[in-house]
Amino acid sequence: MIKISGLRKAFGDIQAVDGINFEVRDGEIFGLLGPNGAGKTTTISMISGVLRPDAGHIEVDGLEIWKNPREVKGILGVVPQEIALYEDLTPLDNLRFWGRLHQLRGRKLEEGISEALDRVGLAQRAKDRVSHFSGGMKRRLNLAMGLLHRPKFLLLDEPTVGIDPQARLAILEIIREVASAGTTVLYTTHYMEEAEELCARIAIMDTGKILSTGSVEELSRQAGEGEILRLEGEFDEQDLQEFISTRPGLKLLRAEKGKAVFSIDPEGPGLTDILPEILQSAIKISDLSIQRPSLQSVFIALTGRELRD
Amino acid sequence: MGILSILRKDLLRYLRNPIRTALLFSIPLMMAVFFGAVFGGEDGGAVKIHVLVWDEDAGLITRFLSGAANNPEMSQHLDLELVGPEGVDMMEKGEASALLHFPKNFTNDYLDGRPVTLEILKNPAETFLPVVAEEGAGIIAEFLSETSMIFRPELIQLRRMISSDRLPTSVDVSLMAGEAIEKLHSLDQWLFPPLISFEEEKAPEEEVKAQSILAFFVPGLAMMGALFLAQNATRDILSDRESGRLKQLLTAPISSSEYIIAKNLSVVAISLVGFFIMIAFGAFAGVQWGPALPVAAIVLTASLVASGTMIFIMSLVRTRAQAETFSTVLIILWCLVGGAFFPLSAMPKFLLPISRFTPVYWAVDAFGKTMAAGQKISAILPNLGILLGLGILFFICGTVALRRRVLGGINR
Repeated sequence: MIKISGLRKAFGDIQAVDGINFEVRDGEIFGLLGPNGAGKTTTISMISGVLRPDAGHIEVDGLEIWKNPREVKGILGVVPQEIALYEDLTPLDNLRFWGRLHQLRGRKLEEGISEALDRVGLAQRAKDRVSHFSGGMKRRLNLAMGLLHRPKFLLLDEPTVGIDPQARLAILEIIREVASAGTTVLYTTHYMEEAEELCARIAIMDTGKILSTGSVEELSRQAGEGEILRLEGEFDEQDLQEFISTRPGLKLLRAEKGKAVFSIDPEGPGLTDILPEILQSAIKISDLSIQRPSLQSVFIALTGRELRD
Repeated sequence: MGILSILRKDLLRYLRNPIRTALLFSIPLMMAVFFGAVFGGEDGGAVKIHVLVWDEDAGLITRFLSGAANNPEMSQHLDLELVGPEGVDMMEKGEASALLHFPKNFTNDYLDGRPVTLEILKNPAETFLPVVAEEGAGIIAEFLSETSMIFRPELIQLRRMISSDRLPTSVDVSLMAGEAIEKLHSLDQWLFPPLISFEEEKAPEEEVKAQSILAFFVPGLAMMGALFLAQNATRDILSDRESGRLKQLLTAPISSSEYIIAKNLSVVAISLVGFFIMIAFGAFAGVQWGPALPVAAIVLTASLVASGTMIFIMSLVRTRAQAETFSTVLIILWCLVGGAFFPLSAMPKFLLPISRFTPVYWAVDAFGKTMAAGQKISAILPNLGILLGLGILFFICGTVALRRRVLGGINR
């Protein structure tokens, strides 16, 4: 388990991380979702022992990183946002160097390299220069370096930035495989669909703070984001206003001739109660659809629409 | 182990980029070859003075003097070329160091005891060689003047013999020669024995071989090469930081201190390799470096200074561009003032005290001492002390500052 409590880090006047708390449970994929400048990379840097926090505690597998740096670094695999490869060397050279830094030697090193290259699909290109690789291949090799020493915990800092959809899917698939083999994954991203698709639990982070933590459903409830009900049929706005006036849990978002969109308060009566009432009312419907709240709507509800610089 | 892994990887990167590496190491070599070719001439060593002789007189004396240059010992240093009036044009084109002009009737006027003028035209584009030629002409003039005063009657006789329509009889010649020899004997009491004697001793050829002209340049260029190699190697630290590789490296079980130590070792190793290549090249080209131990000690301490300096500079700057500009300017200045491009003996006097503030001076000076025959390591101990001291100082300051900067430079 990775346990973070009261973590703070400031750079001059800027409070990059402002007293955050969260836990990454063993074997889960935990997402840290936030816009640019939210403090995700600073958090990862502190967990991986690169940056010393101003305050707070980081425990990885029960060990404090700044008290046991070598032990903790030995069980952590880190894939940074930047492509941190020596481009004038081959993947084999890069991985050998990285493996030696992690105390791998001889057969263990060669087996680890072979396994990592197979996993990221670069075994055939092991002896080519990295400078000849595409962006996606470099990202996969970056990932292989993080996996080489078979870490117990894998920290991934936006590992799919700037690559094509195929390479992105391949990387997400590898992460799923690694997690299913028992590795605990902490995944930072600002791509909501990635977090939604990959992570069991998500912490939404902005301006150095964790705004909310939980599964997508839990986050929706916490953000007050309800289901969306769309109706089509023979009705006018007056019928609709009359209907919602006696139902405070229902909010009319948009109405035009023969079309309406409602949001349903998650704390109020659910769809199962509302639907029969609509059918018995003056509203004649020919079609209806229900849309579950998306992570995007939750994210925007929590972080707002303001641009980040 | 982390230190060795980083060192190994850094050296591997040089092997994986053979063209770049060859270019890096070959720059000082090419400069040495170029300097050797420019200053050494085709025979790779002895300097010859090219002097034009315009003999308008073509008399007995002028032909005798011109012929003296054919003497084998003289011809090693003097390249005399007989020319006509076109010699003046050749001088304007800078084709020789000096033009010696014997005017018409030089021999007759000299033998008649009339004042004669020996004219010399110097090449203004050259510094040393025309002065040597002028000194030589001065010696000839002095010799001719003294001879004229001492042997005036004999010279008058000689003049008559030359201008006579008939050939001189053997009696006339032997009488004149006898008088001249008698006069020479009468000078014995003034000339012999000389008050100051001069002994020439030649060391056995196998012990002291002729020093190549490259000996003036290779030590300084080796130092320059070591500085540039160290500059290139330290640039990698900034590149690691800027590319994000450093951040990833520090997630491995190594500390920032281990990383800095490993990078320092890489820099020293690269500049040492560069230095030894230059030493080997110099030896191959005929430079007599002197005893191995003192030379190795100079190479080691000079490499330390080169590496320490560059690491210190990297610790002061923020970007690679700043590092490159600042370190290149410093290297060129140090090499110019420190005697890498010109022999220290040829440096202007006002620069010599300044040059002592550069490690290049102390390295070049130390090599100069080991090249001198019979020098031992004790002769270069002050140089080694200064180089080692500067090296350690720059290393400590650079490492401390760089560690702070490396950690401070990790992005957010």
